[in-house]
Amino acid sequence: MTPRATHRRALACAATVITAGLLMTACGGGKDDSKGSTPADADNAAAKSSTVKIDISDKDCAPTPATVPAGTVKFDVGNKGSAKVTEAELLDGGKILGEKENLTPGLSGDFTLNLDAGKYQVYCPGAKTEKTEFTVTGTAEKTWKDEPALVTATRQYATWVTGEVRELVTGTDAFTAAVKAGKTDDAKKLYGKARVHYERIESTAEVWGDIDGRIDGRIDDAATAADFTGFHRIEQELWEKNSTAGLGTLADRLSADVHDLYTKVQKVEYQPAAIANGATDLVNEIQSSKITGEEERYSHIDLLDFDGNLAGANEAVSVLLPVLKQKDPALADTVAQRYQATATALKAYAATPGYEDSGYVDYSKVTDAQRRVLAQAVDAYAESVSKIAGKIA
Amino acid sequence: MTPDAQRDSGPATSAVSRRRLLGAVGAGAAVAGAALGAGGTALANRDSGSGSGAPTGHAAPATVDFRGAHQAGIATPSQDRLCFATFDVAPNATRADLAALLTTWTAAAEAMALGRPVPGDEGDLNTPPDDTGEAVGLSPGRLTITIGYGPGLFDDRFGLAARRPSALRPLPKLPGENLDPAVTGGDLCVQACADDPQVAFHAVRNLRRLGFGTVLPRWMELGFGRTSSTSPQQATPRNLMGFKDGTRNIDARDEKVMGRHVWIGEEEPQRWVRGGSYLVSRKIRMRMEQWDRDRLGDQQDVFGRYKGSGAPLTGHSEFDTPDFAAKSGGQYVIPDDAHIRLASPENNKGLRILRRGYSYTDGIDKETGDLLGGLFFIAFMNSPDRFVTLQRVLGAHDALNEYIQHIGSGVFAVPPGLAAGQDWGAQLFG
Repeated sequence: MTPRATHRRALACAATVITAGLLMTACGGGKDDSKGSTPADADNAAAKSSTVKIDISDKDCAPTPATVPAGTVKFDVGNKGSAKVTEAELLDGGKILGEKENLTPGLSGDFTLNLDAGKYQVYCPGAKTEKTEFTVTGTAEKTWKDEPALVTATRQYATWVTGEVRELVTGTDAFTAAVKAGKTDDAKKLYGKARVHYERIESTAEVWGDIDGRIDGRIDDAATAADFTGFHRIEQELWEKNSTAGLGTLADRLSADVHDLYTKVQKVEYQPAAIANGATDLVNEIQSSKITGEEERYSHIDLLDFDGNLAGANEAVSVLLPVLKQKDPALADTVAQRYQATATALKAYAATPGYEDSGYVDYSKVTDAQRRVLAQAVDAYAESVSKIAGKIA
Repeated sequence: MTPDAQRDSGPATSAVSRRRLLGAVGAGAAVAGAALGAGGTALANRDSGSGSGAPTGHAAPATVDFRGAHQAGIATPSQDRLCFATFDVAPNATRADLAALLTTWTAAAEAMALGRPVPGDEGDLNTPPDDTGEAVGLSPGRLTITIGYGPGLFDDRFGLAARRPSALRPLPKLPGENLDPAVTGGDLCVQACADDPQVAFHAVRNLRRLGFGTVLPRWMELGFGRTSSTSPQQATPRNLMGFKDGTRNIDARDEKVMGRHVWIGEEEPQRWVRGGSYLVSRKIRMRMEQWDRDRLGDQQDVFGRYKGSGAPLTGHSEFDTPDFAAKSGGQYVIPDDAHIRLASPENNKGLRILRRGYSYTDGIDKETGDLLGGLFFIAFMNSPDRFVTLQRVLGAHDALNEYIQHIGSGVFAVPPGLAAGQDWGAQLFG
């Protein structure tokens, strides 16, 4: 699998998009998701926690009690002596929400789920009665929308993204105008200035795989030569041939795609977990395509892209930080510290005005040993960012 | 998982930081491991079997005790596979960071040694799993995780200078070596051995992941085909030159010999490291193409043994004691520069070390197409000077030198085993 395919699949989850009344809940967060409880649950009187005992036998696997209030439910599963029936599952219709398997006689285990009100089934394949009803009563689980701080965070993020895409439109129009006017040197300098805005919001833009492919696709992604369009296609001509000849159509198309993106971005509704995981994706992008020099293989302005991805991740983290500080101050500290370490590592390569006015040195001049130092900082930051979603939602 | 351990990892403690959580789980798991005993073995056998739950007749249990007087992975009968990695402490990491990581590592290592995943939250679809998952369903494969500390750790960065084990210092330049800094040294080392390479790799991978931001990986080596036996019950394996190379190794079950040669004892002023050992690693490249073109007679003279039987050139069977005085036609039967002569205790004032090496390969040389590989030598001893003494002789005179080169190196103080409730952080920092 190419790195591109990998991140696109992951990033498709970065945002929820409302298009023509269709709500695409991209990445879970619904009642079916089993998850560990958060500290907020403990403080929250509405959230309940129950323990349900399930003894599996050749006869059945009836839960005790058979009815619990909505909230965190821990299932203690034990096998007192059945060699035939060795597992129990909690089903919601056909979907397995949680299970404990391979419980040979005498063994026990457990699993914990966050459950909304509804009818469920405890299922132990092989027993005389394989399915027993299990009921969860009460109100629906609280969602992030009940937390004003998280609602604020999603609004802040949406406003920021819209602003960045507006800048992207302005920058791209200036860039494509220079390309069409045949001003090669100007175009090279405007290229990075436009792109950095894309790099900041890449995790959102990639929701639309086709637009993203047209704007930001690499030569490796294109099925045929004609499919290679957008920034990197123009980049190739500008730096390899030092010419703008014949790039007019590509420039127009890039401009149109970016305008299209601006329209679409305004219909995105963000979820806190998606914002957090989008930040992880952005930091992963640094590791998979900037550190390697894969992204800007002709222009070598990768450090400016690095800067863009890092700033985008930091923005996403920043809007969530007030909530994260409350729910997991230690993680909030770690994330802030590792962001600083990454920013400091990058800063070592800052230059004014820098290579192609990018604010940084030519990335092809950065040695493997230096790249490794950058990579280590990025990896550590990404690892901490990847834990945010589970803490805030 | 036992109720106790589960309670610790359950919702009640999820408010604490992950590192503290891991510490708590570790303590729970320790108690569970001690209390379970036979049950743990039964579970392990079940895991290593066909999955039917029937006894497999597997003589060795699939788990090795994590805690004890000495760290596992030294006297433990050699497993088939190795994953070895060294780390440097990150430039911005503090004493507290390092101590916290060692506590976290203890909990994770103990869980993995029991065949369990790295403890943490399970099943949150919005968060990466705490365990990377590739060892789930595999037998623990007698996994041992052994930690060691390089000389650099005891500089002034973490206030550990006063706790430096007295014999721990970088190895001197040794004859014939050509060390690549990219596979040499490190502040910490982790030796993971198991009968399944995926289990050993999983262990190092997860410790590395937990170490993000605190330690930076320096180098890593995968080993296969153990090249020595640490118990006569194990057949003597062959190295990549096709020779039996561990016949006269220390029997690690012999407490007296281990006490004299391997375990750090009363002679060490640093009490905290008594019961530990020193680990010396050497990445030794073999020039396999050249070796394979050497005539059998010369190959046998280089080692001082018969290639087929493994017997010394003065004997008939593998375990015959070599007769270093025997001559034929005025020449020693076991030549002056034969490997077993130069390495023997008889010719080194009784000096012995416990070898625990593995074969390795890094693929092929991209310029020549020659095989890259050889011996990843690991040995334990109560002072690195023992290795230095031996290697000064071998590096200068060993006939084998024509076909090998030492290209990587490491020396680490290996702390003693952990007592119940103790962790590596508290052990190191006191």
